[in-house]
Amino acid sequence: MAASEIKRKFRNLLGGKQEPVQSPIEENFSHEQFSREAAVTKAKNQRPRNPHEEQEIFEAIEEAYYNNESFDTSEFELKKVPEVLDLEKIEDDGTTLRQQLQVVSKKVSELVLQNHPAYAAELQRVMELQKALQLASIICANGRRQLTIARESFTAASLGLLANYKKRQQLVGLLKSLRTIKTLQRTDLRLKEMMEEEDYCGAIQLCLECQKAASIFRHYKCISELNSKLQDTFEMIEEQLDVALSKTCLNFDVDHYEKVQTAYRLLGKTQTAMDQLHMHFTSAIHNTAFQIVLGYVELCSGTGSTNFQKRQYSDLCMHISIESFTPCLIDLCKALWGVMKSYYRTMAWHDIHDEEAVADTEGSGNIEATFNRCYIKQKLEHGLVRIWQDVQQKVKTYILGTDLSEFKLEGFIQVLDLVNRMIEIGEEFCKSKSEGLQDSLKQQSLNYFRNHHRARMDELRMFLENEGWELCPVKSSFQIMQLMEFRFMRNLVHSSQASDKGVQLNSSSPSHHSKYFERYATEGNPFETQQEEEENEDVWAGTGNEDDSDSDSDIPDVLKQDFIDEITGETHSNRQPKRKYSRTRSYQKNVPIVTNTSLNVFRVIGKYMQMMTVLKPIAFDVMTCMAQLLDYYLYTVYIFFGAESSITEEKTVNNRLWVTLQRIQENMIAESPVPGAPPLEVEDRRDKVSQPHISPIVNLISSDKLYGLAERIVAAESLVFLGEQLELLEPHLEILIPPNRKAFLQQFYSQTVKMATELRKPVYWSVTGQSVDYDNVLQHMNTVRWDVKDIMSQHNSYVDHLLMSFQNFGVRLSEVGRRVPIPKAVYDTLWEHCVRLANRTFVDGYANAKKCSNEGRALMQLDFQQFLSKLEKLVDIKPIPEREYVEMYIKAYYLPESQLELWLQDHKEYSNKHLLALINTVDHINKKGRQRLIGLVEELERYRR
Amino acid sequence: MSETYDFLFKFLVIGSAGAGKSCILHQFIESKFKQDSSHTIGVEFGSKVVSVGGKSVKLQIWDTAGQERFRSVTRSYYRGAAGALLVYDITSRETYNALTNWLTDARTLASPNIVIILVGNKKDLEAEREVTFMEASRFAQENELMFLETSALTGENVEETFLKCARQILTKIESGELDPERMGSGIQYGDASLRRLQRQQQTTKRPDCGC
Ligand SMILES: Nc1nc2c(ncn2[C@@H]2O[C@H](COP(=O)(O)OP(=O)(O)OP(=O)(O)O)[C@@H](O)[C@H]2O)c(=O)[nH]1
Ligand SMILES: [Mg+2]
Repeated sequence: MAASEIKRKFRNLLGGKQEPVQSPIEENFSHEQFSREAAVTKAKNQRPRNPHEEQEIFEAIEEAYYNNESFDTSEFELKKVPEVLDLEKIEDDGTTLRQQLQVVSKKVSELVLQNHPAYAAELQRVMELQKALQLASIICANGRRQLTIARESFTAASLGLLANYKKRQQLVGLLKSLRTIKTLQRTDLRLKEMMEEEDYCGAIQLCLECQKAASIFRHYKCISELNSKLQDTFEMIEEQLDVALSKTCLNFDVDHYEKVQTAYRLLGKTQTAMDQLHMHFTSAIHNTAFQIVLGYVELCSGTGSTNFQKRQYSDLCMHISIESFTPCLIDLCKALWGVMKSYYRTMAWHDIHDEEAVADTEGSGNIEATFNRCYIKQKLEHGLVRIWQDVQQKVKTYILGTDLSEFKLEGFIQVLDLVNRMIEIGEEFCKSKSEGLQDSLKQQSLNYFRNHHRARMDELRMFLENEGWELCPVKSSFQIMQLMEFRFMRNLVHSSQASDKGVQLNSSSPSHHSKYFERYATEGNPFETQQEEEENEDVWAGTGNEDDSDSDSDIPDVLKQDFIDEITGETHSNRQPKRKYSRTRSYQKNVPIVTNTSLNVFRVIGKYMQMMTVLKPIAFDVMTCMAQLLDYYLYTVYIFFGAESSITEEKTVNNRLWVTLQRIQENMIAESPVPGAPPLEVEDRRDKVSQPHISPIVNLISSDKLYGLAERIVAAESLVFLGEQLELLEPHLEILIPPNRKAFLQQFYSQTVKMATELRKPVYWSVTGQSVDYDNVLQHMNTVRWDVKDIMSQHNSYVDHLLMSFQNFGVRLSEVGRRVPIPKAVYDTLWEHCVRLANRTFVDGYANAKKCSNEGRALMQLDFQQFLSKLEKLVDIKPIPEREYVEMYIKAYYLPESQLELWLQDHKEYSNKHLLALINTVDHINKKGRQRLIGLVEELERYRR
Repeated sequence: MSETYDFLFKFLVIGSAGAGKSCILHQFIESKFKQDSSHTIGVEFGSKVVSVGGKSVKLQIWDTAGQERFRSVTRSYYRGAAGALLVYDITSRETYNALTNWLTDARTLASPNIVIILVGNKKDLEAEREVTFMEASRFAQENELMFLETSALTGENVEETFLKCARQILTKIESGELDPERMGSGIQYGDASLRRLQRQQQTTKRPDCGC
């Protein structure tokens, strides 16, 4: 109840306050206001009241005033006003209302005063509280401020620090990676360097490592790029390696190759490497050959517009000029040799190292290594043949590209020598017989040789036509082998002896096969030594007009002087003039008889033999040509000096010689062009030489000079000497020609060489026939009477006459002997023939006797004995030829008829005329018997025909 | 090998031993100096086709031995020579003094029309010269010889010598002073001119050709 009361009161209070007519309430209290209580006092001052009254008044306050706060008191009061206004009432009401207001105000004032201390105290507390709150706020603000400071100055920094540290750590890591990456990137450079240093192994290893490393950094974007770059580099390395491998072809280097091989092994590509290597070799051969030939062709063609770069190799080979042919060939051979040597050494390397490699590896690796090794070995062995084929093909094409027939012999021989070396190298390389090269050699050689030989034959004809048939003074010990052109034989003999021994010593070992590859393994080139050898050994020194002074040079000058005298005979004839006719003076022994021409033939033979040694494939063709030289010389000597005698006297030429001469004429001698006749076919003339004509300065008709006996001697004996020298060569020639051609050689020796001496007869007999006048002797004999009755003691004068002629001949012979040495054989031939002719004259003369007595027959014997005994002093020949021919003819006279009959049948060496004369002169046979014998002889004659 | 040429001349190289005859010939044919040349034995032969005044001429050259003992063997080669090189050594008066003998030989043994060129060889050895150019020129003039100094070593004037001699012969042929068809002239028509000649003869001489 109390609470509602208060509430009500309070409501009143409030309502009261809200009265607009009420004086405005002080909003801001102050202690003084409260203490003075001014407002209440004022009201009280108006009308003091007693409490009851006041109570009443108070209670009289209508309820409506308390109802609503928004109560409009004015309106309320106005409404109460009746329709008819009553001032009093209103006044009363007003007074009541004023009283009421007074009471209420008093009451409120009392209440306020009553509650004022509490209020003040409360206000005080509020003030205090407010103060405290203000303080707290300040503290709080300070705290906050300080906290902010603290936060700013402490937490953020350290946290930042931490964060930074963490970041740093990360960055360090990144830096490391980046460094690695950078290194990786730099590796590229290093790899290139390594490639330059040819450290392929290192490069590959490095590259592989790099790739591994790169894969770790895969998460970097740049790495993928690097990776592909590395891949490129790796491929590049392989390419470089391939290039390095190809270098092997041109110049094998152990270290280099080892590097490359190790690199390939590292790559696991040893087999591929082998395949590649072979391709490289093939192209190396091609490129090398092409470049060399191209170089020379361009060099020669000068600044010509033609572009040779695009030409085919074979086409290119046809543009090589003659001058550059040999140097280019040498370069070509050298270069190809280089390639082959590289191959050879590659093989050797594999032989050694693969074995090691197999031995080094074990287990399953071993199987693979062994397999690899087999593969490589096989590949290499097959390669040998292929490579040689390629090389051979290149050289062959090159050689056949040029016509070499214009070459000088020495130049051509050099070419042959080069190619032969190549063939030998091929043989050593893969046991090849090099058919291709041999073929081209043969082809070129034959072509060349045919031309060369033709020129030599023409030259020989010129020599013969200019030949004065004077003795060419050479030293007495002259031998063909001393000529420059034969020097090579000495070396040949030496070397063949040496190699014979060598072969015997190690015939089973293949050491002689590795001649080139071992000798030139490290340095030098088999095609370089050519020049040196040429100079040192004079093997090919016979350069056209090259001299052979060595035939002179090895005898002192003093001896040379002697020998000149010996040959010219000047000193000798003065020293021993009395013994002119004696055997020891009229002929000389062992003097080589040489003419300018035969000397030239020797030289040509020497060159031909050189050709045969160098040019085995056509050795036989050369041999036949060599035979032609001698054939032609022989034929010419016959034509110049022997032909006329053989016409008059058939028997001078023996059958075999005749056949030989016939053969030569048919095969070699071009028919002399008949004036007006169509010119000979070129083809026909090609292998033939026209018949030579003797130099007009050669005098064969002067009897004083014994019908050119000196020249005849020089001619015939130079031929004989030529033959003798050739006999010395026979064993050498036999070696040089193929075994199946030996028969030709034998035929040559028996048909030409041996015929040389046979030619003496026709050459000399025309001299002897002319220089003694047998006809004159015969006429003398015809004047002799043989039917004498007495035994005569004095020989007939025709014998002296004959002997005089002989003596005369002897004198002239010795005169000739002063100009040229007369060999014993010639001396014998001459005298034998003289005597033979004399003996025939005897028989002819005796047969001419119409009548003959026993005493006459004895006279014949006496004459003949006289002749024989004087002859013995004049000349030195034993036995006297055909002595029996005369003696038997004389003695047959004495035979009884029966024996004579047999004798006639047995002695066919006498002519019909001789026999008939004999029968007619025999006087101890009756007419009938004589007739019978004549009949017999005539029958024999028919039979003889 | 079809060697075609218009003329063929026979040449002779004569002079004392050691004058350098073989070296000159070698230089002419091989175009290089013959290093270790030694005395020639008898004769040697060489040939070369040269081109002179638009004509190709084949020279057949006989290189004779200069040593006295070979005189008799070399004489037969003089006959019918169209031209001769008479060689002496400018560093050896002896070889120069022998020239008269050689010249007589050449004029008597070879054809009287022989064209001779005097050759003073070893021109390169100026320091050792014993025969002056003037002196030799005078000798050449007096004997109606052409004259050149050569060096077989350097090749100087070697080819010129042969060409000069050949040119002179050609001139003489053209002027009619030399008749190639005369026997022993040392001159022959080559294949090329022979064919030309035959054609001419066939066209011009046919009516009265009875030979
Ligand atoms: N310095 C020099 N030396 C030369 C020259 N020509 C030749 N000779 C040298 O002279 C020497 C003789 O040369 P050859 O050509 O053999 O003399 P040759 O005239 O043929 O002598 P024979 O054959 O004996 O008649 C050799 O030693 C040559 O080296 C030259 O032009 N200059
Ligand atoms: Mg000489």
